[in-house]
Amino acid sequence: MGNNNETRTFDAIVIGSGMSGGWAAKEFCEKGLKTLLLERGRNVVHLKDYPTTNMYPWEFKHRGQVPADIVEKNPVVSRCYAFREDAMHFFVKDTEHPYVQDKPFDWIRGYQVGGKSIMWARQTQRWSDYDFEGPARDGFSVDWPIRYKDIAPWYSYVEKFAGISGNKDGLPNLPDGEFLPPLELSCVENYFKDFVAKNYKDRHVIYARCAHLTEPQPIHLQQGRGQCQKRTLCQRGCPFGGYYNSNSTTIPWAQRTGNLTLRPFSVVHSIIYDDKKGKAVGVRVVDAQTKETTEFYARVIFVNAAAYNTNLILLNSTSNRFPNGFGNDSGVLGKYVAFHNYRGHISAKYDGFKDTTTDGRTPTSAYLPRFRNVFKQETDFLRGYAAGFSSGRGYSGGGRDGFGETLKENLETKGKPGPWYVGSHMMGETIPKETNTLTLDARQKDEWGVPLLKISIAYDDNDEKMLKDFFEQMSEMYTKAGFTDIKTGDSKQAPGLDIHEMGGARMGKDPKTSILNEWNQVHTCKNVFVTDGACMTSTSTQNPSLTYMALTARACDYAVSQMKKNEI
Amino acid sequence: MNRRSVIKNFLFVSAGMSLIPACMHDKGKASFLLKNINVNGDQEKMLADLTETIIPKTNTPGANDLSSHLFVMMMVDDCFKKEDQQKFVKGMAAFEDLTKKRCNNTFTDCTPAQKKELLTDIEKKNNIPDDVTAFYNITKRLTIQSFTSSQYYLTKVQVYELVPGRWHGCVPVKTT
Repeated sequence: MGNNNETRTFDAIVIGSGMSGGWAAKEFCEKGLKTLLLERGRNVVHLKDYPTTNMYPWEFKHRGQVPADIVEKNPVVSRCYAFREDAMHFFVKDTEHPYVQDKPFDWIRGYQVGGKSIMWARQTQRWSDYDFEGPARDGFSVDWPIRYKDIAPWYSYVEKFAGISGNKDGLPNLPDGEFLPPLELSCVENYFKDFVAKNYKDRHVIYARCAHLTEPQPIHLQQGRGQCQKRTLCQRGCPFGGYYNSNSTTIPWAQRTGNLTLRPFSVVHSIIYDDKKGKAVGVRVVDAQTKETTEFYARVIFVNAAAYNTNLILLNSTSNRFPNGFGNDSGVLGKYVAFHNYRGHISAKYDGFKDTTTDGRTPTSAYLPRFRNVFKQETDFLRGYAAGFSSGRGYSGGGRDGFGETLKENLETKGKPGPWYVGSHMMGETIPKETNTLTLDARQKDEWGVPLLKISIAYDDNDEKMLKDFFEQMSEMYTKAGFTDIKTGDSKQAPGLDIHEMGGARMGKDPKTSILNEWNQVHTCKNVFVTDGACMTSTSTQNPSLTYMALTARACDYAVSQMKKNEI
Repeated sequence: MNRRSVIKNFLFVSAGMSLIPACMHDKGKASFLLKNINVNGDQEKMLADLTETIIPKTNTPGANDLSSHLFVMMMVDDCFKKEDQQKFVKGMAAFEDLTKKRCNNTFTDCTPAQKKELLTDIEKKNNIPDDVTAFYNITKRLTIQSFTSSQYYLTKVQVYELVPGRWHGCVPVKTT
């Protein structure tokens, strides 16, 4: 195969192979498009490249802990809960890919085929119109150009393929989906669920929907995936394909069509705009290893590089037509970025259910959908938060007093069951603001010649008020439910550690105030689409990946229909 | 196995063989290369004794069966911050001073009764320098970790299941 323009020309180029890019590749390949899937990191082949997946705890040299020299050199990624000895090879080290923190921001990244879909928390809650209508109702950001009815069939479409476990709860603010059976909640979780339903109007505790194959369907077996075995070691990659990631699901599916060209070690420098043709014609790629630049061409380009890297590529794609960044006539590119506020947590004990316990492990937990300001504005802050709810029971054995045979006996005694512990964490909506920005650093470039991304994002007064409300409301619910020894905590973590960065190339109806239209299509360049977190007009409270997947499949369908009509 | 990896393995083995006698004869050095802390051969021996006193062999494995002292040294060397490494090293020296004072000898040469008395006093903070307490607490915590995360413990005591294959949210407590 020669290296001429012809071999470097495809029908579609997808930038990024993670959560949303994997979907774009699958959709295009299935629809018969010759597709180039670009990934800046190394290849990770399902099953083959999960080096720690079958290791026992004692097989890890440091029993899971990350050595101090790595922590010291990489303070940002070291703050991520999943950056442990068993999965640290899937995370970007600070030192390898620097960025500029105008204000503290913990940017957690995964540069490999599959991206962060390998290590994600697998929570998949749908949005409702109470989310999509938020900005218009409450007067922030811009109105979403879509509503629930536009995305609902696409939620169903991706849920069936990915495999989502859930319970039909019938809640207007958290619509039901195409669910595989739910797993059980614990006795205490069920108790709290009943308690909240009885004592609070419009507050609910449900089984948290998650991307696990609790009962694989023929489509999942066809993908080569099997039932979730409740290992809860998902961040290592799953030997059963029990949870959804791009590596086990969308990418191999795309490969089977024969239409996919997967190109790891491909750092996208910028999108090439052709003034004469009035559209994008391809992308400039710097080889991650040789640093050699190559151009690739296609009729349609999907940018799925992960929210802030997508912004980086767009900002760096300048031309006569777009001197301020790709599609950026409005000047809003890189602005109105947002995230989720994960600072609050609460824990307590429960004295009941002494005769019962749990057996085995569960990959998910219970979930409280947002109950604040859902149907109307009711607090002195905008929007609200969702919360997790999980529980477990310890044992009195394993005492650590003393030494010698006494200590050893204690350690070898399981003891009696101790009290139940319960806990929740906050998932707060943040308001996208013009002052929260991503820009290109004027001086510093990385080793591939791409300017460093400068991140300037901070909490605001709304976030602080919401955090206070989370503590108050959760403490009240916990107290009324009879939980004791209630402890609240503010992790004070910087924005970013939620790993839910969003926005910067937001969707909107008006090209003067947004970058993308209702099809995730750049308003001013119809053959470029952005369907990862960068497209988000607002953040709501749900874990966002499911929405990215649905938006991606929907945008691919639209793009192909437009290609057939020769519109793009 | 291809030819290249056979040769590589052979080289690896022979390199290891040539290293072992050197280590065994040089009692002044630790038995493996430490990057950040200084622990000499005598101290390593003392640590072996101390960890075995903390978790002794009974009819089940003890600290020495699990090489807990090497785990302690490796974890302090690899996973501790500089200031905590200092605490360990400084505390170890203070501990050696204390055993000299108390048994007029090294910890290894203390009688079982003296060892027991010493550790009891440390546990009760009975007129014990802070440095010694810090060293002891680090050593004890890592010895326990070495024990409770060992293959023995996780296959015979609290069985760790790599593939549970099940989740039941609400089952009766087993009364065994």
